[in-house]
Amino acid sequence: MENRKQKADHQRRVYSDITQLIANPENPTPLVRLNRLNTAKNFQIYLKLERYNPFGSVKDRIAYAMLKALDTKGKTLVEPSSGNTGIALAAVANAMGIPVEIAVPERIPEEKKVILKFLGATLMEADDSLCPLFPTEGARGLVNALIKSPATKDTYVSPNQYENELNVEAHYRGTGPEIWQQTAGKVDYFFAGFGTCGTITGVGRYLKEQNPKIKIIGVEPASPNHKLPGMKRITGLAEEYIPKILDRSVIDDTVAVADADAYQAAINLARKDGIMVGPTTGAILHVALEFARKNRGLGVVISPDDAFKYTSFYQEILNAGTLKEGEGI
Amino acid sequence: MAETFDLSGFVCPLSKIKATQVLNNLAEGKTATIILGDSDSFKSVAQELKARGIKPSLKQDGGKYLLTVNK
Repeated sequence: MENRKQKADHQRRVYSDITQLIANPENPTPLVRLNRLNTAKNFQIYLKLERYNPFGSVKDRIAYAMLKALDTKGKTLVEPSSGNTGIALAAVANAMGIPVEIAVPERIPEEKKVILKFLGATLMEADDSLCPLFPTEGARGLVNALIKSPATKDTYVSPNQYENELNVEAHYRGTGPEIWQQTAGKVDYFFAGFGTCGTITGVGRYLKEQNPKIKIIGVEPASPNHKLPGMKRITGLAEEYIPKILDRSVIDDTVAVADADAYQAAINLARKDGIMVGPTTGAILHVALEFARKNRGLGVVISPDDAFKYTSFYQEILNAGTLKEGEGI
Repeated sequence: MAETFDLSGFVCPLSKIKATQVLNNLAEGKTATIILGDSDSFKSVAQELKARGIKPSLKQDGGKYLLTVNK
């Protein structure tokens, strides 16, 4: 085999570097139908399993897109992240030889912190209440200060996933077309969570352009103090704290989910269909299952990542004995 | 003689983090002057001092805030 970078060979699965494994319409992440958890006769649910990206989550797509476009010469990369963006950025940055620092909120699972350290990223843990300018997002405030402080601004560069249009673009050019092709244009509903809002905006915009009748359903935590890392409650949030890349015109409905329902849905999915996902997928899936009971059609649920980064969170739930054993949702 | 810590190159919350480090490292009975470069940093550090029961003396010099604290 040659050393120079070659075009990815998806047929033989031969790649000249790890970033070529990041999903795109030629090499999409899998779309898998739920056959046992979803008992609705007139509504099919498919999960878009983003864990099959090389660094384990939907964020691999945006990390690569944002880093490729950033001038990082002589600077340290810094980004606030609840874990997945940080992991993806650190991995891509390592492959490009760029130093990385990640600001993480207090309430992310230890597993994610370990992986970030394993990748060699410097971790800055920030209290949620650290910064009055970002009252519930200390990590964002801290990175904002590193980028704006006269003493540090020349040392750091941040992709800023909350404001970076490439976050939307990665989904508009990748995830959206993949879903359209994989469902042969038969998708009726797309379900995604609100976080940085890149996925819901990019996929929603692309699907609406193909067929304006497709319904885009946004899922948010029921409380601002939730245990669904990566998700954001948009309802009631002051305008200045809502991610600038969110395009509300593509959203048809917003549904709130309690932590308990999200974790229950994720655990039920593992036990009924054998698919192990993170709690955010559980939240989105909980909403899709409710829609399935009352509607007809085909729904696609984005599944941002897998269960393995949340074993400590699941352990709490499993040990607490509050699960509704054997019940559907 | 009060030691001076010029934090005017840092905006909030970096300025608050640095000021907190100064306060944590300051020995009992010692005095320090902390220089802050903007009003958000001043408000944030003043809040931290209040929470610790420390009353600073304040001087303003141009756009800068000079807080002298005794621990």
